[in-house]
Amino acid sequence: MADISSPLVLPDLEPDIASRPDVDLGRGWLVICWNDPVNYMDYVTHVFQKVFGWSRTKAEFHMLQVHQQGKSVLVRETLEKAEHYVHQLQHYTLHATLERAE
Amino acid sequence: MKLLHADPDRIVFQLSAAEKRLLRDLLERYPCVPPAHHRLNREDGDDAQAERQRLLEESVAEQRAQNQRQVRALLDHPETFQRAQPAWRLTLRRGDFEWLLQVLNDVRVGSWIALGSPEVLPRQLPDDPREIQQLLAMELAGLFQTLFLEALEVPPAP
Repeated sequence: MADISSPLVLPDLEPDIASRPDVDLGRGWLVICWNDPVNYMDYVTHVFQKVFGWSRTKAEFHMLQVHQQGKSVLVRETLEKAEHYVHQLQHYTLHATLERAE
Repeated sequence: MKLLHADPDRIVFQLSAAEKRLLRDLLERYPCVPPAHHRLNREDGDDAQAERQRLLEESVAEQRAQNQRQVRALLDHPETFQRAQPAWRLTLRRGDFEWLLQVLNDVRVGSWIALGSPEVLPRQLPDDPREIQQLLAMELAGLFQTLFLEALEVPPAP
């Protein structure tokens, strides 16, 4: 991810979504965003806020996870909702994929 | 380019004739990302996955067509660029920003793909004139994207 501002260090607020026990039947699909060198950090944060309605803090947390760890599991959802989110993220040309949760 | 005014409906910028031409050129480049770049999964899978991939391609194609219509309407609208000697005034509705950001990022990412998707972004001008054009488009699209994101952060004046 391309830097345009100083990295913001946030506490590890989020549990690991991929390994979180999922009580909702059918929410077995993960939306994953992958790192690339071209999308600006501020742009990725903005897109996460728009697509998921997240706070800036949560959006920045996931943006930094993408930047520093190569990917971030954004949500665990039903197939229909997960597909919808991937479509939205790809409309913004982010590298987002759909994966079945293990 | 500088922000002149932000109200709840519109954001107004002042820009030079050169900046106006560059922004128009960038928007007219859209779309730049090859459709095959949009992949739902990292690896190929079964028939159900192929169908989901088809739905993604359909969704991206629809969005592109809509964005292209929006670009045309914006560039053709007489109030978008207005002469304000010695510069120009660019007026955008707040509702325009999301698709404008999508369009500019498509140009940025598409130019990066045309450069061979380098892991490290070039810091020097390439020798090939076509690559210079792609590099400039990538950097300029990113610059306008950043300016628009900053403008959205400005609290609207009453």
